[in-house]
Amino acid sequence: MSYRPPDKLKTTVVGSYPYFSEALKAFQLRKKGQRGPEYESLVKEATRRAVEDYINVGLDIIADGEQRREDMAVFFAEELGGFEISDLVRIFDNVYFRKPVIADRITWIHEIVFGDWKYASGISRGRPVKVTLTGPYTMYSWSFDKFYGDPRKAILDLAEALRKEIEALVGAGAAYIQVDEPAFSTRAEKSDLEIAEEAFEIMFEGLDNVKRITHICYGKLERLFPAILDFPIDQIDLETKNSNYKVLDLLREYSFDKELALGVVDVHSSRIEAVDEVIEGILRGLEVVRPDKLYVKPDCGLKRLSREVALAKLENMVKAAKKVREELA
Amino acid sequence: MRLLAGICGSFPRPPALRRAFDELEAGRIGEKEFMDILENSTREVVGLQENAGMSVTTSGLLMWHDLLRPFAVKFSGIEPRRLLRFFDNNFYYRCPAIVGRVSWNGPVTMDEVRRVKRYTTRPVKAIIPGPYTFLKLSENLFYESEDLLVDDLIKALRSEADVLGEVADFLQVDEPSLVDPELGRADRMRGIDIVNELLSRVKIPGEKVIVATYFDLDPEKYSLLLELKAGLHVDLKSRVEAAREALMEYGFDGKLLSLGVIDSRSIFPEDPREIVYRLSPILDAASPETLIFSTSSWLDYIPFNEAVRKLDALGRVLAEAEVRFG
Ligand SMILES: [Zn+2]
Repeated sequence: MSYRPPDKLKTTVVGSYPYFSEALKAFQLRKKGQRGPEYESLVKEATRRAVEDYINVGLDIIADGEQRREDMAVFFAEELGGFEISDLVRIFDNVYFRKPVIADRITWIHEIVFGDWKYASGISRGRPVKVTLTGPYTMYSWSFDKFYGDPRKAILDLAEALRKEIEALVGAGAAYIQVDEPAFSTRAEKSDLEIAEEAFEIMFEGLDNVKRITHICYGKLERLFPAILDFPIDQIDLETKNSNYKVLDLLREYSFDKELALGVVDVHSSRIEAVDEVIEGILRGLEVVRPDKLYVKPDCGLKRLSREVALAKLENMVKAAKKVREELA
Repeated sequence: MRLLAGICGSFPRPPALRRAFDELEAGRIGEKEFMDILENSTREVVGLQENAGMSVTTSGLLMWHDLLRPFAVKFSGIEPRRLLRFFDNNFYYRCPAIVGRVSWNGPVTMDEVRRVKRYTTRPVKAIIPGPYTFLKLSENLFYESEDLLVDDLIKALRSEADVLGEVADFLQVDEPSLVDPELGRADRMRGIDIVNELLSRVKIPGEKVIVATYFDLDPEKYSLLLELKAGLHVDLKSRVEAAREALMEYGFDGKLLSLGVIDSRSIFPEDPREIVYRLSPILDAASPETLIFSTSSWLDYIPFNEAVRKLDALGRVLAEAEVRFG
């Protein structure tokens, strides 16, 4: 089945979708080390339901909903070679979490997200399925390092490992590859961004027939400019609704000419943005980039919202994009 | 030069205490049972410090949910509310909402210091948040003027400092906001004035007080910190080169300097010999009467077992340094 996305204002998502009960059951099995057929079929069913929701709400470019990933960093750490998982570390009050630990040289040992992408693509009724990968800089920032002692070496090895996954995906026809780097906006200094740029070069070198995307959210997005403009990427996917589109001024200042995926609904609030409110956001985006270069999507992954709220937000977002598209035509 | 060692602030809660917090909240154990576990955990953490060769001990701040919490709970006029990121860490504190007139209501952490004293004869360091960091990390919903809030914060913290001065051997005033990279020079200078105002009012003598800064350091920030009228703790690990440059350029001619030489936010193995070797040029430029080797900041950012390793490394730094500089 084929699907032709509109030329202008394509709608999409950042990646994650609220977990279905099957996904929650799968997490429990995974924790017990039970990754057999039952686990796989639970993940599949959760993925199928996420894909159905994304299609039914009318998105142009969908994702697999990340139903296999309870935590975006821990998941990749569990699938890559070289990582362990730490003992408990406090995050606030008396609440603790486990953090990935780099304990050996990082290597790619098997496919990580390929299977879920492939499955989602098979049931997407022709819609492109965007692949989301937790980026090397974020993986490093959110891990303990007891092996390298040198961020650059570790980050570049992470990039090499992810490159293998990307090659497999592109080889199988993946057209949108998104590298999530939320840690960029919390700590990254200039030297960090230089390392990250090298990492992106490793991941995407020679891959021209694919949309190369990075998603960055929250914190201080302004820190990334202008350095991020030199990254070998086609599209920057940003959280903008929550920060009142502040970063758009910077994009204008730097004559931004990449594609922009604009966050037009807030994923930290369960208030449903009205269609007009979303339209207003899209129009602000259009002041900076052309409609064929503007993608419309939520600020970040949807996993913390309820399914009802997520769907309602997406529905208004799709309506808003359609309306603006009609006005443009 | 007198050489000492001691951790900067907290130590991760031992597993038994971590569980006890949850059990207490769920009502599965009572207050009495919880206090017994706290007592044992304090003994454990103090014992770990002694065994690792710490010359100055702390309680590990085992009851503290974050730097401000015990005070946000006990002082009048403050309510701990929403979670906010604590500087650039993956650690969150509850932002104190200033909802009324801030005042001291009796000792906040004196019992904790007394508890440590039951298990060690070594000097004990008590810790309080400084007024500037308290101000910067709070949300003022009550005072019309920030100056009035600062005044009341200073008064409340001074009362706490004075009672702690009766039981503790050192008092550490934590002021990470003084080196917050998000703040400008004028903010920093105002912060230093505010801290000096507190220092001028406390009874405990300046040579027993340490103003602790962490998570950042560079020559410009450091040159301002030298205006503080007390001992100083600096983080040599968050920005290694900039911090070294700061110490080498400006030295230190005060009495008490605490150097955060062990990285409290990473679990990468430390090499005590290398650390001491690299300290030589710094100590050529800075020679306080008393030098404390310390962790760069609190040990809350790593697991308990890794913190035990860091403690051991810190002890070995002191031993190496005694051979080299003692
Ligand atoms: Zn995001």
